[in-house]
Amino acid sequence: MTGINASLRTNLSVVIASARMRLINISRYPGDLVLDIVIPIVFAAMPILLGRATAGPNAGEVFKENTGTTNYVAYMLIGASAFTIVSYAFWHMANWLRWEQETGTLEVLYLSPTHRIWVAAGTALYSCLRGIFSALVAYLLGSLVLGVNPLQGEIGLAFLFILVGIVPLYALTLIFGAVVLKVKESNALINLMQWVVSFLMGVFFPITVFPTLLKVMALLFPPTWMTNGVRSALLGVGFFFGSWYKDLAVLWGFMLFAPLFGYWVFTSVEASIRKNEGMGQF
Amino acid sequence: MIGTVRVENLSKIYQVHNRKGLFKSEKSSVEALKGITLEVVQGEIFGLLGPNGAGKTTLIKILTTLLLPTGGEAWVNGYNVRHHENQVRATVGCMLMGERGLYWKLTGRENLEYFGALYHFSPRDRRRRAQEILDLLRLGDIADRTVETYSSGQKMNLAFGKALINDAPLLILDEPTNTLDVPSASELRAIVRKLNAQGKTVIYTTHIMTEAETLCDRVAIIDYGQLLALGTVDQLKVSLKRDQVIRFEGVIPSKAFTAVQKLPQVLQATRTSANGGNLLTVVTRNGGTILPQLIEVLTANGTLIQSISPQEITLEDVFIAKTGRTLSEDTRGK
Repeated sequence: MTGINASLRTNLSVVIASARMRLINISRYPGDLVLDIVIPIVFAAMPILLGRATAGPNAGEVFKENTGTTNYVAYMLIGASAFTIVSYAFWHMANWLRWEQETGTLEVLYLSPTHRIWVAAGTALYSCLRGIFSALVAYLLGSLVLGVNPLQGEIGLAFLFILVGIVPLYALTLIFGAVVLKVKESNALINLMQWVVSFLMGVFFPITVFPTLLKVMALLFPPTWMTNGVRSALLGVGFFFGSWYKDLAVLWGFMLFAPLFGYWVFTSVEASIRKNEGMGQF
Repeated sequence: MIGTVRVENLSKIYQVHNRKGLFKSEKSSVEALKGITLEVVQGEIFGLLGPNGAGKTTLIKILTTLLLPTGGEAWVNGYNVRHHENQVRATVGCMLMGERGLYWKLTGRENLEYFGALYHFSPRDRRRRAQEILDLLRLGDIADRTVETYSSGQKMNLAFGKALINDAPLLILDEPTNTLDVPSASELRAIVRKLNAQGKTVIYTTHIMTEAETLCDRVAIIDYGQLLALGTVDQLKVSLKRDQVIRFEGVIPSKAFTAVQKLPQVLQATRTSANGGNLLTVVTRNGGTILPQLIEVLTANGTLIQSISPQEITLEDVFIAKTGRTLSEDTRGK
């Protein structure tokens, strides 16, 4: 009989076991791993080729007026790669909850003495590894295919923005997961979320072109800061507050606040579900 | 305290939406449990019987902390289900959803090891415990195949194995022999007995009356969210007067059988063919007083009675007498 005296060490062991289990699971769907890399490249190639077709050889110059860089190919590749990380985060968290609700394994999690937040952290770790790996490979391959130098700018700083940005991102996915648990639907929500997310984070364009209200909404969304931070570090498009440490400080703020808020929303929804129909009902 | 369950005046009301056309819905409530009080003592096999929708699953879900009760209290292994959910979960082994609740793309061994992690076993202990269970359930040959390739019975066995992973003092098994063939079901029951002999308390729900009769020390019959009967199988049988189950042998036409079924005091009547004639078994509320009426109805409808005898009472007869129907009938929507 175990589980009564759980410690941080045993909970971290659950995080690793949960991530490992999901990695083993996805390794049995090899087609998905190929798609993970191909999709971001194709996603970015479309606006890049459109830009070349409509703006001709001066596409870079026109682009620079709004973004601060002529390298629109790398700009869009970075956007598509960052979107891969963000989109996968929402997709994996929502799909984890919904899929396990349907197959009955979610109830099994709730029968164990492990708090779901640790299993969620394991799912986040898996999603994070898969998202970052796919984004990185897609960026490198895409750069090769579309003829840009991927190793420019401050790569370490770009990674720092990704690492700091990932924490509030997964906190948001926890809120999203709570909605999925409550409404017992994931496909429509994920589809909607992908459009909203790509739009708000400025997947192919700078958010400076947004009207004021939209711009404010975009700035309240942590992935917008992460994406712009990476672009600024690699391409020098310009940080929102002029310097990297101020933008990073904002992301740190999100990092401190968003997980607490996400945890509160998730556990509140959980409690309300347990009061009525229970987790197993799908 | 360990290996015990205490339920006091437990109630559960579900809020449901009744759909009215495309966009309209109406809220209503369903009272799934109505003040259940019972106790399961350490070391017994406790049977929980009731038709579909009777409230068994709701009760089990509350005991396993999946649901919160609307009223009343419950303690599992001495822990309150509202306030000590992690302690309850750590000390109970559950099999609630049959072959559901398994990761089909993982192997049987990977499934068990992962569930071991959820109970905070170290990686080495997870491997050891998974192997012990695979050996106990004789799943060693298929342990490294993905679950999707298992037969239904093998999945059930693995799901049962999952309930054993934390070596809990209390096992809650919801129809664990469903979809198992006869030898496998018998083998699983033998393992349940063995675990019980080692001191584990078992709460066991089943639709198979003979299973409850042979396996359970005590049985509770639940219907419409209420506890209708509780006791040992023998106590429950004694509670039903011997003449409440009457057997008629002879030539019994269909219209006579139908007429008997319509009698208000008849809870259940079954007619089978035997020895070139028919065998009619009638469960009544009070056999002694209804017997003349039964004979009259049967003869008036062309029955040739050869013999009348009281029948050995089974748990099924008790169930019918208490609930007014067989176990396979459905309470939902009534």
